[in-house]
Amino acid sequence: MRKPDIALVPSFQRPPSRVAIRRATTYEQDLAAMICETLREFDLRVKDKTVLLKPNLVGLDPLGVMNTHPCVIAAARESFLRLGAAQVLIGDGPAMDRDTEAIIESVRLREFAGPLARTFVDLNVDDVKRVALSTRASRLKELFLPKTVLGVDFLVSMPKLKTHHWAGVTLSLKNMFGIVPGSCYGWPKNVLHWAGIDSSILDINAAARPDFAIVDGILGMEGNGPIQGTPKPCGVLVLGDDPVAVDATCCRVMGLRPEKVKYLDAAGTMLGHLDPEKIQQLGETIGSVRTPFAVLDAFERLRQPNGGVWN
Amino acid sequence: MTPDEKKDSGPVSHSNDSLFVSDFCLPFLRKSQNADGGWGFHPGSESRVEPTCWAIWALQASGDTLVSAGILDRGFQFLREAQLVAGSWAASPEMTTGCWVTSLACCVLTADASSHDAVAAGLKWLCDDWPRDSAPWRRLLARFSSEHKISAQDDSLRGWGWTPRTSSWVEPTSFALLLLARAPREAWPSGAEQRRELARRMLYDRMCPGGGWNCGNPMVYGVAGEALIVPTVWALLALREEPTRPEFVMSLDWLEKNVKDVRGAGSHALARIGLEICGRKWPTTGATFADFYSRNEFLQSVPVSAWACLALSDQRKWLTGGTPVRVPEYAKA
Repeated sequence: MRKPDIALVPSFQRPPSRVAIRRATTYEQDLAAMICETLREFDLRVKDKTVLLKPNLVGLDPLGVMNTHPCVIAAARESFLRLGAAQVLIGDGPAMDRDTEAIIESVRLREFAGPLARTFVDLNVDDVKRVALSTRASRLKELFLPKTVLGVDFLVSMPKLKTHHWAGVTLSLKNMFGIVPGSCYGWPKNVLHWAGIDSSILDINAAARPDFAIVDGILGMEGNGPIQGTPKPCGVLVLGDDPVAVDATCCRVMGLRPEKVKYLDAAGTMLGHLDPEKIQQLGETIGSVRTPFAVLDAFERLRQPNGGVWN
Repeated sequence: MTPDEKKDSGPVSHSNDSLFVSDFCLPFLRKSQNADGGWGFHPGSESRVEPTCWAIWALQASGDTLVSAGILDRGFQFLREAQLVAGSWAASPEMTTGCWVTSLACCVLTADASSHDAVAAGLKWLCDDWPRDSAPWRRLLARFSSEHKISAQDDSLRGWGWTPRTSSWVEPTSFALLLLARAPREAWPSGAEQRRELARRMLYDRMCPGGGWNCGNPMVYGVAGEALIVPTVWALLALREEPTRPEFVMSLDWLEKNVKDVRGAGSHALARIGLEICGRKWPTTGATFADFYSRNEFLQSVPVSAWACLALSDQRKWLTGGTPVRVPEYAKA
């Protein structure tokens, strides 16, 4: 069982975070070997534990440009099993369409990850438990969250590298919107919009902070994401033990300033590290994989001045 | 082996949908009822209002002789006891605020003679629950918002939201309209007629440009949205009193054209319900329920199994209903 109370730690008390950038140009390469090798570097304690992979499954996506690619999900699952996890579940609660099975079939998840009847958890219709929101970033005092999410030993957020029409970017923190159950809050989870997207992201992640993040940046999405954007090859996987640090690193890879993303800036105070000085970089440097993403006019302020220079 | 045990003897590979439903889905629903009378979304999960409604509806409509009166009575009892003081129903037992499942619970309880007071209270709660987005001051504020130009929808039209004090969406609005169509007029609270008219107009306003509906954004992030099977079916069923209206016909055409691409068992079942109740023929070629089951075992979903039963139900009046379905005396015994 995870301990949600450790989610909120002031930055100055939090140990440095580690983020690894791996170059991966196609989904056909041996991603399991790459992810497994990287996970070993993090020395994760997942032996005999139950792991939940939370990909970003937005909607019907036969071309594989909007959802976390099934190859990455399957590779992560295999990697955690190789590391000795007793069980690796895959779960999400898509926001716009209640036929979750249709979405996982459209992304061909079964084809890559094997039979899903006992492995996949539709978080929209899981049993729920009340969680009081101590952060109170939004007006929400409580959320009813899936017992599977609250009960697993190790939670992994697995977003796709995308820009977002309302939030600027959608990465491992925004991806956690998908744990909020549609059976309680609807399709879409409109109560979160009314409470404020940025504030809700903070509340949800404080209540169920991911222990690890694996971002599918092999093919990202720029512009009018998360659904109607343009595919953007970026050729990376970004992995780390701090979702805030992972998202900050992804922003820098995308040529964006994380401190200008409202929810990330706030998350940097209590949920993880935004400051590059507090992030130990493994693998590729940011500068070597940097791929500027187009953003909507409303988010031009996120851009690095002079194109951005990160090492 | 009893007939029930014989039928429950494991997953099946039926090419005949009716046999699959009678041999697998109905026994699955019967066996999934919890001790408290309700159903969870999956076998063994906690009882919730929504799956309980679908299960009762499906078992009632099935005419299955193995469905005893006790199963349904305990289901009705669970629903009555789950009603909140305000007259609404909450999505989960721990929740204290009512929501969209109120429409479903009332729809199901209209068939139970001893639940008429509960239905009346639920109807009143629904008609008093106005979404927040279309309040006049909200619409005024929205005119000055940068998001104003993204959607061309008419915010003066109001339906129902998933949760109180939020926005109008297609599915909860459709469920409320289905309830109003099912409940006797004399049970309608004051203002129900006005709510119904606004909601119907709202649904047409939110239709996708090519017909059909998604959750309720015909413009998604500034671009024309694509329709989805599930909300399209519920909207069509809610609007089927005007079957010749061009928008209705266009949306029904969209559904008919897209059933061949359905990828989930839930959409498959609902598409069949929608097409057949709206007078179109279900294509005889294509995937069967057994095909869908072999993929992901319906993700062990009680609602999906219930929708499969409803799709194959001989009693097409299950949706309009209103009259208690009497369980045969021999079944009670």
